[in-house]
Amino acid sequence: MIKLKNDIVVIIGGEAGQGIQTVGDLLATVCWKMGLYITVVNDFESRIRGGHSFVQLRISDQPNSAPSDKVHILAALNSKTVELHKGDLSEGGLVLVDGEESTAAGVTAIPFSKIAREVGGKIMTNTVVAGAIMGLLGTPFDIFEELLVKKFGKKSPEILDNNITAAKRGFESIGENSFKNGFTWEKKIPLGLLLTGNKAVALGAVAGDCRFSAFYPMSPGTGIMNALVALTDDFPLVVEQVEDEIAAVNMILGAAYSGVRSMTATSGGGFSLMVEGLGLAGITETPILIVNAQRPGPATGLPTRTGQPDLQFTIHASQDEFPRFVFAPGTPAEAFDLTVKSLHLADKYQVPVVLLTDQYLTDSLFTLDRPLKVPDSIDRFIITDEDLDNPESYERYAFTESGVSPRVLPCNGNALCVASGNEHTPDGHLNEDADNRKRMMDKRNAKLPAMQKEMSAPSGYFEDSDILLVGWGSTQGAIREAVDLLRERGQEVGCLNFTDMWPFPVEHSQRLLGRTKRFIMVEQNSSSQLGLLIREQTGLSFDGTVLKYDGRPFFPIEIVEETLAIIG
Amino acid sequence: MTTTQDFDNDFENKWCPGCGNFGILDSMKKSFSNLGLAPKDVLLISGIGQAAKTPHFLKCNMFHTLHGRALAVATGAKIANHDLTIVVNSGDGDCYGEGGNHFMNAIRRNIDITLLVHNNQVYGLTQGQASPTSKMGFVTKVQKHGVIAEPFNPLTIALNLGAGFVARGFSNNREHTRQLIEDGIKHKGFSLIDIVQPCPTYNKISTHGWYKQRVEDLYENNYVPDDLENALAMAQEWDEKIPIGVYYQKEGPTFTDRIKKLTEGTLIDKKYDAAKLDGYLSVS
Ligand SMILES: Cc1ncc(C[n+]2csc(CCOP(=O)(O)OP(=O)(O)O)c2C)c(N)n1
Ligand SMILES: [Mg+2]
Repeated sequence: MIKLKNDIVVIIGGEAGQGIQTVGDLLATVCWKMGLYITVVNDFESRIRGGHSFVQLRISDQPNSAPSDKVHILAALNSKTVELHKGDLSEGGLVLVDGEESTAAGVTAIPFSKIAREVGGKIMTNTVVAGAIMGLLGTPFDIFEELLVKKFGKKSPEILDNNITAAKRGFESIGENSFKNGFTWEKKIPLGLLLTGNKAVALGAVAGDCRFSAFYPMSPGTGIMNALVALTDDFPLVVEQVEDEIAAVNMILGAAYSGVRSMTATSGGGFSLMVEGLGLAGITETPILIVNAQRPGPATGLPTRTGQPDLQFTIHASQDEFPRFVFAPGTPAEAFDLTVKSLHLADKYQVPVVLLTDQYLTDSLFTLDRPLKVPDSIDRFIITDEDLDNPESYERYAFTESGVSPRVLPCNGNALCVASGNEHTPDGHLNEDADNRKRMMDKRNAKLPAMQKEMSAPSGYFEDSDILLVGWGSTQGAIREAVDLLRERGQEVGCLNFTDMWPFPVEHSQRLLGRTKRFIMVEQNSSSQLGLLIREQTGLSFDGTVLKYDGRPFFPIEIVEETLAIIG
Repeated sequence: MTTTQDFDNDFENKWCPGCGNFGILDSMKKSFSNLGLAPKDVLLISGIGQAAKTPHFLKCNMFHTLHGRALAVATGAKIANHDLTIVVNSGDGDCYGEGGNHFMNAIRRNIDITLLVHNNQVYGLTQGQASPTSKMGFVTKVQKHGVIAEPFNPLTIALNLGAGFVARGFSNNREHTRQLIEDGIKHKGFSLIDIVQPCPTYNKISTHGWYKQRVEDLYENNYVPDDLENALAMAQEWDEKIPIGVYYQKEGPTFTDRIKKLTEGTLIDKKYDAAKLDGYLSVS
């Protein structure tokens, strides 16, 4: 691992509705275009206006995907931002406030809104702020200008000109105030896209040939649907907001039964409402994809915050038992790949799949460290009359060794597609016979060994170490960075990051965890749900836990400190 | 050409003798064969209840789903492939109780499916509790002093929500119900056919004879179903007489007509084109 050479953190804070996100996006795009890596974490309350909100932008020349606890530039659009974040300023850090005159030592006043009004109106404030920050960082102005042309060029020439002037005035406004931690900017071609987790899931969905999506808005699942809707003009995809989550899951079941790949996205509360539908997909062997973008609960919980509280719920959700897949990507690149894989595996095994993301991964913006790959072709695992000797005697749930029965689509030939959420005989008709019930359960469960073989091992980082930190999903970046920091301090520590959660990758886990001396669970829930799962599935017990469940993402340093306290 | 026998399915039927479902089942087969449909052309989707078991007794494509959810599943199935002929079998509890929200929203969407509600004003499958359409005062084991809420009137609600095909049938008038189902399937858009039926086991009030004294055939009376006021007035009737036939009909664009990309073919027939993603995934 190459140490993060440049690691600059910028916070832009203000009231929700002041367009803080716009500043973050502008800065992020410029940095990305220069080949730098960024993590942009949005922290906003579930209100359109008012309430404190901020964007944290972490800029580095090495991949990073965790927020940081130290701040170099704090751009405060209201006084609350200064109050709240001043303590986080690092050595040589700068505070920028909107005004004519500095009110305190270490605080630089720049008349952001005055400049904005002069060049075209208060609405330009964001561009001025972005310009000032780029001035401090030493960003080449032409890259910024290019971006503004792309963003505003399609609007009126006046809007574009005003923005460029605003940017320039902001850029120049920092004057002599040179910033110690400035960059030497060399233009490099970025290796990957600049992407939020929700956009990654949406792109993965169309790459995986998802054609229908029904949803009911619930943060942070809504972001995925917004991203999917944005793709509907270019792809054979229909996205519809429906009356409730129960309708959403049942509509995608209907569409999947009819023959198109289908998905929905929600958060814990909506997922709870979908659970009966999940079971219907299980017993009728209908391939669907549900994204559960986790937030803290129960009930309404913390609508705009993050967490990993639903792992055990998701792998067990529904009455009784049936095979399902559960995946939990750690980065947008993994979110893309696992969405493609989920849609593929749902079809291949005729099972429901749940993709577990969380508010941190879905709402944050990251630079990917690799390109995304689209599958060459889509295999639907669907047969027609031509594949059958006698279509009239076709049975939807024929017993097979693999447990997977050849699947036809309804009204697609003489082979009839008869499906039932009641227990059924191979022909799909309901039946309560004891023998048949047992055989059908066994048939569905017979898919499990092959499904388990599809599961990848957790990815490792110094995984031969005596002490391993173990996590899953979006904590991947924070845990890896904690490993770097611990190793810098002379600790022989590595980590494992799980993405393929269910069917649990038992053998991989036994192999990787069995050889380490100690392992510590790092999770964003209060009981160490993965730790308990590992113990249940492998008999191996964790030696300590680092748990954060206050609704905020991990800072690497928190993991470091708590780990040190455990390992002594 | 197909015959009703083409739809026969040899599957053990445990409906009570005298159940109105037998008549509806028979009318369905006749209307399908009259329309020239073969089993492979028909998709039946149902919820849960005695009514919702109906698809098992026919030979055709079918999806027997969850209590209350048939319309949601059917909507998804229709969006994925709007060439399908979809008929939904539901009960008064299934459709107006557990599935009430989907009922209202299916009407709003004008999704082109035909909904048959087997309305016996009682929960048959779960042994006789009151349903949303049970009359005030209807006594059951659970509602031992009688139902204490006003009944749900599906027809006035459908009419008020702008449904384009609102009809009522009576299960024992099989020819009449056959005609209704044919008209419902032919109607482009959402069709509600609320079919009142006796439940000889759990509903001792609206019996076969009770209905027979009250039903009035609108087809015979050459009623023209184009007057909403008239339809709403008829939809209030129950105690003295029960008009059966199409109360109101008006065609308009259906849900899938309103989705622009579906006007050029079904969703399922569209081609996967990975190259289209290049623009989104290229880094430069
Ligand atoms: C979620 C759920 N709740 C309750 C039930 C139990 N249940 C099954 S059918 C039914 C009522 C059926 O009444 P109706 O729809 O009028 O059908 P009928 O049997 O009268 O034809 C109930 C309450 C269920 N299967 N699922
Ligand atoms: Mg009933």
